[in-house]
Amino acid sequence: MDSDQIVDIIIGEIRETVPELADRPIGRGDSMADLGVDSIERSEIILATLEAVGLKVPMVQLHGPRNIGELADLIDAKKSG
Amino acid sequence: MTRPVGIEAMNVFGGVAFLDVRELCDHRGLDMPRFENLLMQEKSVALPYEDPVTFAVNAAKPLLDAMTPAERTRIEMVVTCTESGIDFGKSLSTYLHRYLDLPSNCRLFEIKQACYSGAAGLQMAANFVLSGTSPGGKVLVVTTDISRFALADAGAVEEWAYSEPSSGAGAVAMVISDTPHILALDAGAYGNHAFEVMDTCRPGPDTEAGDADLSLMAYLDCAAGAVGDYLRRVEGADFRESFSQLCFHTPFGGMVKGAHRHLMRKLYKAKPDEIAGDFEVRLGPSLSYGKRVGNTAGGSVFVALAGTIDTAGIDAPVRIGLFSYGSGCCSEFFSGVAGPESAARLGGMGISAEFDKRYRLSIAEYERLLAGDAVVRFGTKDAELDHQIIPGAWPADGAGTRLVLDKVVGYHRHYIWV
Repeated sequence: MDSDQIVDIIIGEIRETVPELADRPIGRGDSMADLGVDSIERSEIILATLEAVGLKVPMVQLHGPRNIGELADLIDAKKSG
Repeated sequence: MTRPVGIEAMNVFGGVAFLDVRELCDHRGLDMPRFENLLMQEKSVALPYEDPVTFAVNAAKPLLDAMTPAERTRIEMVVTCTESGIDFGKSLSTYLHRYLDLPSNCRLFEIKQACYSGAAGLQMAANFVLSGTSPGGKVLVVTTDISRFALADAGAVEEWAYSEPSSGAGAVAMVISDTPHILALDAGAYGNHAFEVMDTCRPGPDTEAGDADLSLMAYLDCAAGAVGDYLRRVEGADFRESFSQLCFHTPFGGMVKGAHRHLMRKLYKAKPDEIAGDFEVRLGPSLSYGKRVGNTAGGSVFVALAGTIDTAGIDAPVRIGLFSYGSGCCSEFFSGVAGPESAARLGGMGISAEFDKRYRLSIAEYERLLAGDAVVRFGTKDAELDHQIIPGAWPADGAGTRLVLDKVVGYHRHYIWV
């Protein structure tokens, strides 16, 4: 699994969590906040993504990324590390 | 461990004025298409002549009034729990001691750990009772917090756009003893989770700062960690089966919903329908009062407890699980048992009826208060309070049972009963 596959998982979880975004194009450079995903939903998307990739780390370690691509890179790094 | 300990009596005070949260969000032009999910309705707003002392005393007074003189003499410790302190040295408890006319053989101090302070105070008090060093001794634990975050500067309102609607004010007074009529604590049954993180803080007088996303993440980590530690300590305990009701620290209802969902998925891989149903049954009642006063910080988990006991229709003993989280951060999951007597006694406080008596601020009045000109800032040496700043809010026909700040003379705060 690489960062691009994690991006796909995150985008899938975004569409699942916020049905209004089902048809909207979403890419690496988008930030969830700018897409209108609120903070509770963001946390759920991250938790679901961690579950999907089988990574167990505290949520606070995933704070900081400014967009979906950076989040995927961070999850990828934690997974490899 | 069979010695009983817990909350003997309890009261919540939500101030004299409130603001409608939806009206505030509309006024601020906040884009909240899913506003209902946040589960907020009203928030208490502290007027300039209300401070952490008046909130605390007004919450505690009915408890003291209901005690016999002999019972009052057994209050041997007053613990104020707050992140809204008014002096670096002198504790709020000293003012409570004066205005509640408590015995002189008494320990007075104040404790701080953001919104965890109340749980910390309760546990310290419970352990004092359990220690048996003064059999029959009682502790008055009072959480008291107000939010005046917009005082810092004009930019603060904008920066804190999404926390402004949830920041409230309120105090919870509890008498802790070996006759726990409201909540009998399960002594020894608790779990902690703590680590250093800079999520939200009060870095200077009258200022708040923080990162809402990081705080939510820390809250979720702590919910899982504290519950996990409880389950490790308490043989046979099960998050889904052991607790008929749950009370969580409630910055706003939506956050509690998120944490509950996290726990149910993590522990049981529960499906959305089951999670939603469980939330409604086990956490719905706990939101009853929080959505009327807003986030009361140190008292929030006990505001939730009061809501549960008052509205869950308790007709037989029930075990309640409580989760407290304080930024920075420290958290605890603990439990206790409440029954029909708890509901009858707490009902006698008329908490909800007191909320109903609050004055509803207009947006214009609220904005005038936000400007902060009339507020006694931290470190003020001398001041006279304008009691008519919001004429409609002043309890003109009061019975002398409500404490307000009158003036500050040489840093000493002077209060009057109205």
